[in-house]
Amino acid sequence: MKTIIVVSVVTLVVLALFPQIHFANAQLGQKTSEKQYINLRAEVWNEFFRMTTAAFVVGAIVSGTMIWLVWRFRESNPKNKTPTRWEKFDDPTTGTYEEGGH
Amino acid sequence: MGHDTAEWVFVGIVIAILFYVGVDSWIVQKAVEEIPADAETIKVTGQQWFWSFEHPDGTKEKITLHLQKGHAYKFEIYAKDVMHSFNIPDYVVFEDAVPGHVNHAWFSPEQTGEFPIQCREYCGIGHYQMRGTLVVEESKS
Repeated sequence: MKTIIVVSVVTLVVLALFPQIHFANAQLGQKTSEKQYINLRAEVWNEFFRMTTAAFVVGAIVSGTMIWLVWRFRESNPKNKTPTRWEKFDDPTTGTYEEGGH
Repeated sequence: MGHDTAEWVFVGIVIAILFYVGVDSWIVQKAVEEIPADAETIKVTGQQWFWSFEHPDGTKEKITLHLQKGHAYKFEIYAKDVMHSFNIPDYVVFEDAVPGHVNHAWFSPEQTGEFPIQCREYCGIGHYQMRGTLVVEESKS
């Protein structure tokens, strides 16, 4: 399990950073006649858009999971007629549900 | 896929994204804050209610700042009386001017023209008119 997590984390980070490394190397290779400085405005706006994308991805994952949970575990879902193995009460103190109870 | 696996993948993806946010922000901040070694130092002084500037050769200007395109400039920002904030919106230069403290900012103009300079910290009754002009001229060298 830990391996899956570590591999997925490393893969995502490498995929995300690869374009930057590529462009940085491309810029280093250029022979320019005059000095080049970074454009602060472009850097800041690029970072803003990347962070916005990351925020929306996290938001989509979290809200998507919640929507799926609500849909999957709703009472009317036919899959919920039989309790899952996590819902079987072995502990007698948890009580039982009676037909037509309160 | 087991019950735990889905949860761990979920946690792993979110941690990966947050890790990416941290690393990427750190890289960009480092790049943006690194002042080029050949940057010319301009002393900027804010006082009620105008900006004054001093070039490395001792030339002084008030309200209007003349710079050259394609050069890097480092601002040393001072305040004489109360807090001000030195802002050139078009070039994302935005740094407080604090009495008794020197702040730094840098930029390199890539376009010629006139750009507004303004105070972005309320500094008294004349704050609204504490404006200046950045004039970017073609490089002479």
